[in-house]
Amino acid sequence: MRDSGNGKTADGNGNKNGNGSGTVSEVILDTNELRLIEGHGRLKVRLSGNRIDAEFHNLEGPRFLTSYLRGKPAEMAPLVASRICGLCYTAHSINAAEAVEEALGVTPDGDVVELRRLLYLANNLRSHMMHLLFLSVPPIKGLISVFRLREKDLVAAGTRLLSTSTQLIEHWGGRSVHVPNVVVGGFGALIRGRELMESISRLESLRGDARKFVEHVLEMELPELERFRTMISLKADAYPTYAREAPLIINDGSTVTDEEYVNDLEEVVKEYSTSKHVYFRGSEATVGALSRIMLNRRRLNPEARDYAERIEWRINPFLMIKAQAVEVMHYLEEIVEAGERLSDATISPNGYPCVGNGKERGADPCFSDRSGKGIAIAEAPRGTLCHACEIEGGLIKDYRVYTPTAVNSKSIEMDSVELVKRFRPLGGEKLKYVLEDLVRCYDPCLSCAVSLDFLSDR
Amino acid sequence: MKAAFYSLTSCEGCLTTLITNLGPNLEALWRIFDIDYFKLVREPVGGEKVPRVDIAFVEGAVVTNLDRKRISQIRANSSFVVALGTCASCGNIAYSASRGVDLKRRRLREIEVFEAEPLSSHVNVDFELSGCPVSAEEFTEALLRLLNGIEPKQPDFSVCYECKMRGNRCLLEVGKACLGPLAMGGCGAACPSVGAPCYSCRGPAVEADLTAYLKTIRRHGIPEERALSAVRAFTGKKILGLLKDGKG
Repeated sequence: MRDSGNGKTADGNGNKNGNGSGTVSEVILDTNELRLIEGHGRLKVRLSGNRIDAEFHNLEGPRFLTSYLRGKPAEMAPLVASRICGLCYTAHSINAAEAVEEALGVTPDGDVVELRRLLYLANNLRSHMMHLLFLSVPPIKGLISVFRLREKDLVAAGTRLLSTSTQLIEHWGGRSVHVPNVVVGGFGALIRGRELMESISRLESLRGDARKFVEHVLEMELPELERFRTMISLKADAYPTYAREAPLIINDGSTVTDEEYVNDLEEVVKEYSTSKHVYFRGSEATVGALSRIMLNRRRLNPEARDYAERIEWRINPFLMIKAQAVEVMHYLEEIVEAGERLSDATISPNGYPCVGNGKERGADPCFSDRSGKGIAIAEAPRGTLCHACEIEGGLIKDYRVYTPTAVNSKSIEMDSVELVKRFRPLGGEKLKYVLEDLVRCYDPCLSCAVSLDFLSDR
Repeated sequence: MKAAFYSLTSCEGCLTTLITNLGPNLEALWRIFDIDYFKLVREPVGGEKVPRVDIAFVEGAVVTNLDRKRISQIRANSSFVVALGTCASCGNIAYSASRGVDLKRRRLREIEVFEAEPLSSHVNVDFELSGCPVSAEEFTEALLRLLNGIEPKQPDFSVCYECKMRGNRCLLEVGKACLGPLAMGGCGAACPSVGAPCYSCRGPAVEADLTAYLKTIRRHGIPEERALSAVRAFTGKKILGLLKDGKG
């Protein structure tokens, strides 16, 4: 077993030299620093006797953002959590606000939740476009960059979708990256539904661009690598993105509550990775666009559902990019629909409720009389994202973030082994490229993953 | 001219800001420069080798042994090094956060983790473009200046200046520990404009005066330790200078 401690994180120091059984292992494939992914990572495949093992290295340095939050006022959580990731910052800040609100017993009103969902959708759309257009599609086509794509109109269409979804986030969030408008309790600034409609109609006018882009991705030829494993996604009345109080569904048909999910997660230290890997019930689980589509595709919006029906969905990680493409259309449809519901709403600023409600001036933390625990789970671009916090006297006592990439790490390794077994006749050099494509299809985010750093306790 | 865009330990939010906010103009960068290294946009020329360039833009803080090696290679191969964003210019949250952690508690096989430092702790930096994230407009302006042989400049005003221009209500007056008077402007007062206090995510302003600031917040009944804890969040290494001046 190469997994150091195999689930026991208490002393990851125990077996420094891997299995210790004395078998000589030889590195047969090494991607070096993975190209075109978020953060710094590397994949190594080893052969020991007849056994093939893969190691997914996170080389990104830890920034200790979650341990920094300990002892800080609860309302600082969204601001700091946002800095976990430059691609899905809105997911982190909204999850943080929600986890803290649950712990403090604060319930934001319906329009706030609806607008957060819109922000979530816009961020997922932006992240998917960034991943598909810049990172995943060009190398699968054998190109060194998106700018080498022959279909210039496709690049222009994709860029427009990317810029417009970024503008939406900027308009509602107060800045394009690390939005300050998401605060504990709601939103910091007044938002008028009518103003939202203007930016949404700009996005709606790009439906043709989205069709062109989605169809292109759906027609791509991808390697076949079906392998059964546990898949997890949020389960809601609508196609899951962001929903309060929703259970999770597993591909064996069972459901778990958010609390059960967190209890079933296990943090595992790997001697080659700055981030811990996260196991579900002692083994692997895959989260992300493919899990969402396989478990919830009946709930997709009409046009996205039509696209989804064109594909024969199987548990092949390469299909994750097609699943993301279908979601691009779904998110666009969903934003337009949600915008219509919000068109008459006026959301007044209700963040920082301690100000002006009779509490002593500047006496932070705002919630000095409150304690509790909170969990927030939502479907971030790369999969199920979970923030869990404990608050005592308005100060954060413990803060943990389980990111999709940390959960998927084990699956990335197992799929790499499977790929090497099946495609070995291709030979090292070619295999290396397919292996990199495989890792990229997971859309890994190593800056996110490292928020559960190898030095964190528990 | 040759340029390169590197990323050390960070959230990569600065480089993604450039990609999304430059939008259709991103490709234009390639018409001006030969860009051999920009990991999120193209496969690097020459693999992991650091190319020789005229201008290198570097986001992220120096945290691991790999970061340390990388930044010295970048310096050795680049005529002009620009620190991109607050992680690179100040160390950002990681600067304080990493100082409260027992870094020797566990060891990894190939990676060593150190206390986070801005680029300037390890190499000479020619210009710093702060911001969490960096602003695409400021980046463009700095780039145009460099192309024309003019020295780029950082904003020489505080967040308060831009906040007043936007007609916002002063957050100090409602009792929030806003760092606007101490903070370097250029962000368009993004946070105070949505009612959230400024955390000085671009580091201290040129004219930052901690003594005067503490006097002001005392007048507004805001606890001093609350404000000082906020100053420590983003300003990273630059807090040291500020504190020295303030207490000095």
